[in-house]
Amino acid sequence: MLVVGPSEVIVILLVSVVAGFIGAMFGLGGGILIIPFLTLVEGVPVPLAVGASIVSVVATSSSSAATYVRDHLTNIRLGMFLEIGAVAGAITGAFVSVLLPTAALFILFGMLLLYATTVMIRSRKMDFPSSVIPDRTATLLGLSGQYEEQSKNAVVKYEVTRTPVTLFVTYFAGIVSGLLGVGGGIIYVPTMNLVSKIPVKVASATSNFMIGVTAAASASVYLFRGDVDPILTAPLIIGVAGGAILGTRILKLTPPTRVKIAFGLWLAAISILMILRGFNIPVVL
Amino acid sequence: MDLNRLISYSLRVGVLTSALLSLVGLIAWAATGYADLSAASGSGVTGTIGSAAGGNPAGLIYLAVAVLVATPVFRVALSTFYFARDRDKRYVLITLAVLSMLTFALFSGVSG
Repeated sequence: MLVVGPSEVIVILLVSVVAGFIGAMFGLGGGILIIPFLTLVEGVPVPLAVGASIVSVVATSSSSAATYVRDHLTNIRLGMFLEIGAVAGAITGAFVSVLLPTAALFILFGMLLLYATTVMIRSRKMDFPSSVIPDRTATLLGLSGQYEEQSKNAVVKYEVTRTPVTLFVTYFAGIVSGLLGVGGGIIYVPTMNLVSKIPVKVASATSNFMIGVTAAASASVYLFRGDVDPILTAPLIIGVAGGAILGTRILKLTPPTRVKIAFGLWLAAISILMILRGFNIPVVL
Repeated sequence: MDLNRLISYSLRVGVLTSALLSLVGLIAWAATGYADLSAASGSGVTGTIGSAAGGNPAGLIYLAVAVLVATPVFRVALSTFYFARDRDKRYVLITLAVLSMLTFALFSGVSG
């Protein structure tokens, strides 16, 4: 039986503002911050942490997507096409999660975080891909786009390539998302950028757009299963929605490399803690 | 109104409504003296939402969650109508595929 009092609610609210802020900035839902916090610090059982997190991911995503869509930073067509894979994956993941033991979830989550760490550190090199030849799917669906790069005061045009590969990866990202209560943004952003050659800001904004739908699919499964605790979830919704509004204002200025590296190292530490917990080694935080 | 603006407004309204309901729910919870609430499941969720009008804290928060989850679903449905109006068959099919999977997720959750 989980008992959350008023002081925990305040702490969760504050942490979720940070999660919403970082999520909006990096094209994530914020689940990779919320889940370790709830499980390792607050001692919340994994299913309830995942249930609350997946609901808050919908809030982070919708809150930040509202701004990015208005500013034409999101590639709406690409997002809608990739949602086919993402939602199919999320439904698969939400159903498979019941079959997996908690320890396996901890280890899987730790591995996801380790992957995220390397991506964060590698992503320093992601910039403006040039001379990209669109593939047939991209041409057929009219996926090329343009956006205003404020840090350079210029309109950047881009093409989309290897769309089927990205759709395929998106399905697996969707599974991870449904399993672990995250949005999957940590996989969508680097895939869109490194595989399909989409500028990193557009990839972040499109990821934010997509994860709302992915998370909504898994959230409804977790909700009816009884894994959404009201007192845990309410402060998360309020906090991330506010934090995301702040985060969208920052993305317009390119995130400094040092912030990405610091964030990457922090993720590495958390991922090791989650894996240790998975192997039943006591972790004190 | 263009699609970007329609989507942007609907997402913003959905999230703000949900955050506001969550806040009212927390205030109602404080008013009960921080009563012990546990997570409802299955038809218990829909039943609890029904008690939101009476100021039940869990009901208000579950209503907030329902509004939140409905927000991106509504966004997809809105896009389907928009593409249908523009006679953009490919995107009508794409958004319908996403919409039907979302409907499946929702109903399998309700019955399971």
